[in-house]
Amino acid sequence: MSYIIYIIIQILTIVLTAPLVNGIIKKAKAVSQKRTGPPVFQMYYDLYKLIRKGTVVSDVSSWIYKAAPYVVFSTALAAALLVPVSTLVTPANSIPGDFILMVSVFALGRFFMMAAGLDTGSTFGGMGSSREAMISSLAEPSILVCLFTAGLISGSTSLDRMMTFMQSTGTPLTHPATVLLFLALLSIIMMETARIPVDDPATHLELTMVHEAMLLEYSGRHLALMEYGAAIKQLVFMTLLVNLLVPHDQIIGIAGAGAVVLSLLIYLLKVILLAVLIALVEINTVKFRLFSIPNLAALSFILSFLAFLQYFLMGGGHVWFV
Amino acid sequence: MGALQIENYIQMSVLLFTIGALAALALGKRDRLCNLVSNGICIASGLLLMVASVMKLLGASGLIQIGLLRSTLPFLALEMKIDNLSALFLMVLSVLVVCVSIYSIGYISHYYGKRKVGLFNFLYITFILSMIFVFTSSNAVFFYIAWEAMSLLSYFLVIFESERMENQRAGTLYIVMTHIATAFLLIGFMIIYSYTKSFDLFGSSDAIPDTAKNIIFILFVLGFGTKAGAIPVHIWLPYAHPAAPSNVSALMSGIMIKTAIYGLIRFLLDFLGVQHVWWGALLIGVGIVSAVLGVAYALMEQDIKKLLAYSSVENIGIILIGLGVSFTALAQGNETVGALALIASTLHAVNHTFFKGGLFLGAGSVHYATGTKDIEKLGGLIKSMPITALLVLCFSLAISAIVPFNGFISEWLTYQSIFAYISPGQPGTNILFILAVAALGLAGALAAACFVKLFGISFLGLPRSEEISHVEEVPVVMNAGMGILAALCLLLGTFPLVIIRLIDGVAGELIGRSVFDQLQGGFVITWYSMDLTGTAISPFEILIALGVLTLLALLAIRVYGGKYIERKYGTWDCGFEGINSRMQYTATGFSKPVKIVFRILFRPSRKTEAIGGTDYYPDRIEYKVASESIFEKYVYLPAYSRVRTFSRKAKFLVQTGSIHNYLIYIFITILVLMAYNRFV
Repeated sequence: MSYIIYIIIQILTIVLTAPLVNGIIKKAKAVSQKRTGPPVFQMYYDLYKLIRKGTVVSDVSSWIYKAAPYVVFSTALAAALLVPVSTLVTPANSIPGDFILMVSVFALGRFFMMAAGLDTGSTFGGMGSSREAMISSLAEPSILVCLFTAGLISGSTSLDRMMTFMQSTGTPLTHPATVLLFLALLSIIMMETARIPVDDPATHLELTMVHEAMLLEYSGRHLALMEYGAAIKQLVFMTLLVNLLVPHDQIIGIAGAGAVVLSLLIYLLKVILLAVLIALVEINTVKFRLFSIPNLAALSFILSFLAFLQYFLMGGGHVWFV
Repeated sequence: MGALQIENYIQMSVLLFTIGALAALALGKRDRLCNLVSNGICIASGLLLMVASVMKLLGASGLIQIGLLRSTLPFLALEMKIDNLSALFLMVLSVLVVCVSIYSIGYISHYYGKRKVGLFNFLYITFILSMIFVFTSSNAVFFYIAWEAMSLLSYFLVIFESERMENQRAGTLYIVMTHIATAFLLIGFMIIYSYTKSFDLFGSSDAIPDTAKNIIFILFVLGFGTKAGAIPVHIWLPYAHPAAPSNVSALMSGIMIKTAIYGLIRFLLDFLGVQHVWWGALLIGVGIVSAVLGVAYALMEQDIKKLLAYSSVENIGIILIGLGVSFTALAQGNETVGALALIASTLHAVNHTFFKGGLFLGAGSVHYATGTKDIEKLGGLIKSMPITALLVLCFSLAISAIVPFNGFISEWLTYQSIFAYISPGQPGTNILFILAVAALGLAGALAAACFVKLFGISFLGLPRSEEISHVEEVPVVMNAGMGILAALCLLLGTFPLVIIRLIDGVAGELIGRSVFDQLQGGFVITWYSMDLTGTAISPFEILIALGVLTLLALLAIRVYGGKYIERKYGTWDCGFEGINSRMQYTATGFSKPVKIVFRILFRPSRKTEAIGGTDYYPDRIEYKVASESIFEKYVYLPAYSRVRTFSRKAKFLVQTGSIHNYLIYIFITILVLMAYNRFV
C-alpha cells in the first residue's frame, strides 16, 4: 500500500510542480529586469493549449520522431520515481533504483531526443543533437563523480538512502565536501537543464540554441510532451540538489498525513528558493560560447573531485560527520 | 548406458564442426547447397555446445575432461578439459555462432558465383573450431597451437576479399601484431615451464618465484592485450575488423578478442594467482585509457565497421577496468569484491559479444543492401529497412549502457564493485578508482553520442545519395540472426539474474566466493554495497514503469487534448526551395564539437581551397578535414622506420644472401653450443 502511495505522491508532486518552477524562474528574471513578465502559471496554459492543437509532422520523419516525445516524457517521470521528493514518503526499497539507473534512464530519453533531431533531415535538428551530444558527454563524468562522492559519504548509491543519511547528519552544508558537491551539482543543473551559461531556453537563434534546436520541428501535443519532459527533468535535478544537500524532514512529534503534507510544503519552499537562485545565476552570467562550455564542465568535475579528495584524504572516513 | 554426459555433447559438437568443415570443402562447387549445409551444421553443433556449456555452468564445479591425445613427446598432449570459466566462454561462443550462422545463410548469398563459398565456409568453421580449442585446452602447448591456428585462420578471413589493397594491408598489420603478441605469450609459457616443469594450465604455480611472476604478468598483459585490442597495442584492430566479411567481423569482435580476456583470467587470476595490487592498478590504467580513447576515436569514424571496431576497443577497456578492480581486491584479500568485479567484467564480455556481434551483423546488412559502409552516403534507411533499423537501434541502446538493455547491467555492476571497494585509508587506489568512475561515465556518454550518430545519420533523415534511396530490406534469415541477439540483449537487460546465476559459478570456482546470494532473487538485482545500507535496481520495474507512464501520458492527452490530428508537411526550410539531403548534418559535422573539445587527442587540421574563378566567385571550393592518429604517428611509425632502417643495414652486413656466410654462421653456432654444453 505504502508503495502505491509513494508512487502517487511522487508523480503528482513532480507533474504538478514542474511547470511552476519554470514560471518562477521566468518571473524572477523578469522582476530583476523591471519587467512584469508572464504569470507564474503561464506554462500550464501553454501546455494545455498545445495538447489541444493539431500537430504538423515532417514528411521526412519516421516513427522515431513520433515516439521520442513519449519516451522523453516517460523517462523523465520514471527517473522522478527514483528521486524522493520527501524522505517521509519513502518506505524502504520503494522503487528499486539508484542514481546510476537514474542517469541511464535520462540517457534513454536523451538518445531518442537526439535521434529525433536527426530524423527530420533539418540542419537545426542535427546541430542541436550534435551540441547536445557534446554537452552531455562533458556533463556525465561530473554527475557520476559528484553523486558517487555523495553516495560514498552516505554509504549507498540509492538516492532515498543517501537522502535519509544526509538528513540524519543534521546540516550537511556546514561541511566542506558537501559545499563543494553543492556547487558542482548546481553547475551540473545548469548544463543538464539547458540554462543560461550553456543554453538559452528563451531564444531561437540558430547560433546559440541547443535544446530548442532539437525541438524545432515539433508542434502540438508532441511539443507539449517534450517541453513537459524537460521541465520534469529540471525539477528532478533540483529535487536531487535540495533533498540531498539541504535535507529537511527533521520533524519530531507529528506523524502520518500531516507530517507528509508539511514535509512537501517545506520541499516546495526549498525548490522555489533554488529556482530563484538559478534565476539569479542566469541573470548574472552571460551565455558562454559553445566551446567555453568545457570550462564549466571541468569546473564542476574538479569541484566533485575535490569533494572526493576532501572526504577521503583529509576527512579520514565516516567519522568526520559527527 | 547412461544419459549423455557433458563431455559427449562437446565431443559430438567438435566432430560435427569438423564434418561441416570437410563438407564445405567437398561441396565447394555448389555454392548454395554448400552454404546451406555448412551453416546448418554450424547451427546444429552450436546448439549442442550451448546445451553442454549451460549444463556445466548449472551443474557442479570442477574439471571435466573432454578428450586426450597423447604423443611420444612428454609435454605434447592435446588435452581438453573444461571448467566453469571455459564453459562460460563456450556458451557465449556457441550462442554467437548460432546467430551468426543463421545470418550467414542469407549474407553469404552475395558471394554466390563470385567467390569460393566452399573455401570461405571451410575457413569460417575451422576458425570457430580453433576458438573452441582455445577455450578447452588444458595444456599450454595445445593452447598455443590453437591460439596460433585461430590467428592464422582469422588472418585468411581478414584478407578473404583480397582484391582490395587495403584489406591486404590490414591483414599484414594484423598478422605482424598478432605474432608479436604470440611471441610474448611464448616467452611467458617458457618461463612457466622452466620453473614448474609442466605445461598443465590447471597445475600449481607455487614453484614460480615472485619476480618471475611479475615478468610473466607483464608478458601476458602485452600478449593478451594486443589480441584484445587494448590501447596502445590496439593498432591492428580498427583495420582488420572492417576488412573481414561482416559475419566474420561479428565473430572476431564478438568472441575472438574475448579469448584474450579468457587468457588473462585463466593465466593470471587462475593459474598464477593475483600477487600485487599494482597488477590490478595497471589493468585499470590500461582500461581507462582504452575506454576513453577507444570511444573517442570511434566517434570520429565515418566508416560503420571501423567505428564499431574502435568501439570494441572501448568495451575491452570497460572489461579491463572490471578485471583490474577484481585483481586489486583479490590482491588485498577482499574476495567478495573480487568476485563481484569479476562477475561485472565477464558479464560485460558476454554482453559485448551479443550487442557488438549484432552491430557488426547490422553493418553487414547495411553493406549488403546498399553496397557501402560509409555513413556519409547513407540516410533514411529506416523507411526501406525498418526491421534492420529497429534491431540496430536496440543494439545501439544496449552498447550505450541504456536501460532496459544488457549493457547497463554490467556497467552498473562495475560501478558497484568500484563503489564497494573505495574506502578511506588507501589514497592511491581510491584516486585511480574515482578516475575509473569518471572514465566510465565519459565513455558511456561518448558511446551514446557515437551510436546516435551511427543510427541517426545512416537510418534517419533523407537519403544522402541516389543509389540508396531505393534499397530493399535484407532477407529474413539475416534479420532472424540479428533478432535473436537483440532479444537476448533485452532479456539479459531486464532479467539479469539469469545470466548472473551462470557467471556466478565461474567466480565461485576461481575465487571460491559466490555473490549470487547477495544479489537477491526475483526481478530485483540487489547488491549490499556497504555495511550501512543497501542498493537495489530493478530494470524490469523500470521497463514496466516506462510502459505505464507512456500509457498514462497517452490517456491524459486523449482526455484533455481530444482526437489526434496530424498534418504531413515538409521540414522547415527557412523559406527556401525545399529541403534536400545536402542540407542535413553530416556525420563529420555531428562529431565536430567533440572533436574540437578533445582536440588534444585528434589534432584536427583543415584545409579550404578555392579552385578556379575569381577570389570572390570560385568555381568550386575544396574542404578537407583530417585528424591525426597519435599512436600511429608517434609510436608505431617511428618504431617501424627504425626497424626498417636496421633491417636494410643488416641486409648488407649479415643477410648477404651468400651461402658461404650462412655456412659460417651455422658453424659458429655449433661451436658456441658445444662450448656452452662443455663449460656451463
